[in-house]
Amino acid sequence: MTEKTVNLPKTIGVWTRPDSARIINSSNIFDYMNGAGELYLAYGFDHLEVYEYTTADQQDGILVEVYVMKTSNDAFGLLSMDWGGEPVAIQSLPSFQANPTVAPPTRALYGGGLLRIWSDTIYARVMAYRETSESKEAVLSLSRKIAADRKLSAEPELLNIFAQAIHPDWKLRKDRIGYFRSHLVLNSLYYLSHQNILNLDQSTEAATATYENISDAGTSKSVQILFVKYATPKKAQKALSDFHNAYLHEHQKWVDPGVTEKHTNFFNIEDGWLGYTLNRAYLGLVFECPNRESAQMMINHISRNTGNKENDRGK
Amino acid sequence: MENNPKRLTRRDFIRGTVGATLAVSVLGVPWAKVSEAVGPSSIVTVVRDKNVMDAGFKVDSKILKNMLDQTVLQLTGKAKIQEAWAELIKPDDIVGLVPTPHLNPTHPELVDAVKNSLMNEVGISEKNIIMAQGGKRKPMRCTALICMPALKGHWLTGIGTVIKNYIMYSGRPSRYHAEKSAKLGEIWLIPEVKGKTQLVLVDAIHPLCDKGPQPDPRYKWAYNGLLAGTDPVAVETVCLRILNQKRYALRGEPWPISPPPICVAAADKAYGLGTSKMEKIKILHFGWEEDLLLG
Repeated sequence: MTEKTVNLPKTIGVWTRPDSARIINSSNIFDYMNGAGELYLAYGFDHLEVYEYTTADQQDGILVEVYVMKTSNDAFGLLSMDWGGEPVAIQSLPSFQANPTVAPPTRALYGGGLLRIWSDTIYARVMAYRETSESKEAVLSLSRKIAADRKLSAEPELLNIFAQAIHPDWKLRKDRIGYFRSHLVLNSLYYLSHQNILNLDQSTEAATATYENISDAGTSKSVQILFVKYATPKKAQKALSDFHNAYLHEHQKWVDPGVTEKHTNFFNIEDGWLGYTLNRAYLGLVFECPNRESAQMMINHISRNTGNKENDRGK
Repeated sequence: MENNPKRLTRRDFIRGTVGATLAVSVLGVPWAKVSEAVGPSSIVTVVRDKNVMDAGFKVDSKILKNMLDQTVLQLTGKAKIQEAWAELIKPDDIVGLVPTPHLNPTHPELVDAVKNSLMNEVGISEKNIIMAQGGKRKPMRCTALICMPALKGHWLTGIGTVIKNYIMYSGRPSRYHAEKSAKLGEIWLIPEVKGKTQLVLVDAIHPLCDKGPQPDPRYKWAYNGLLAGTDPVAVETVCLRILNQKRYALRGEPWPISPPPICVAAADKAYGLGTSKMEKIKILHFGWEEDLLLG
């Protein structure tokens, strides 16, 4: 029996919930939400607690879904799928948050009656079926209850690969940062292939972000960085080899699994220059660069920072 | 992996080689064989009324009934409602209504309106109108189907409206995710379903332009429309145009549906269910014109 994770009031405003939550786990998540369950299983999903607040006339209820994830990073990843909405403060931020975060600093986003929250290992959705000033107040109040006394975890360390700018011209789009472990989520953020050509799984951590270069004339150009940390250098090598076979099959492959743990390469393909760099368990890729120089610059940035990560591991 | 079949990738969409890659990887049927054989233009009607849904999302059944009437009149070119329905459904048909229950469900008011029209305009008895969403057995005894999804994106298949609406008839819905979503069209050809769909009627009253996987009210908007046709691929193609244009309008920058909805072109070019070429689709619009999203 799963113990309830949050302590929500029985009644809030005109809304009342049943005595107990409906508990959903990986064996019945598809019964609850059909194919949408794939999203949560693509992260480290533990269980889901569902509370439905209704009014006496059964109209316009509030649905509370508390997704209990295995790690804080997994809960962050779910929020990172969409940074849109109005930032809402539901917890006071600790001192480390005084330092700038890579991703948007908010932990709760509201829009149209729906509040999405990342709070430690919890990702929650609190949704009023009809948005009114009363329902918004109730949604915010329930969200504060969900986050109350919960640890304020830091964003995933993997995101540190993303500088605010690479060269003064290329600026990070904070609203286009995503953290994930599955190619299904990657495809939702940046489509590469319907198949899992990077061998992503629960043992991997991956992040993607867009960098934008806006010219003096006002035209913008975007490139996409993808950064993956595999469980072992061997898995990273295999992933790069498989990616090359699927995505760059007509190009010479200079990486031989098992032979080298460091490798960098560049290719001019249909949508611009693609670069990749492998450093032990870390694989960085950049897509849609306007020229080789910009791809080189992005990859150099990733390589330097990956080297720092390796050095940190060695300390 | 080098000896494995080709993978469908981003590059295929840029190079225009999606069909060739899918044909050798998952479809097992030739691509682009049937599309060219499609004859006259497919008609898709778009009927809208600004007042069909109020600010509290309550649907006005009377206005909706008028929209439904206008839809069948426009689609069939008939002058009278009874004649129009007679073009689509016979009095002795056993009609299966196939609404969508998940993510952005079909409004029950629309299901009721269709049911009432079938009884009152066609003369079908209530017992011969079946709620046919579900497993393979549901359409088996039906002689006619009305596909009634609501307009929405889908996080695994890109769009989750017309072609995907029969996924439960496969008995194995999980087999049609990711790359294999290209095969969704084959479900329309199983014996229990093939040739039975007399009308595709899309509830575009309150569509969802993002993929989900769960509803996010920020991406729902009052389009207040019904889309209809007898060519499921043409209707889906128009749906896709509306979703893409709404997404662009929301963000003010390109925001393509991701993953790309490969089921639409495949339904045309591999399964011959209809046309996915906009130039072969004749859109008949009636009613409210603001933010039509069909430019």
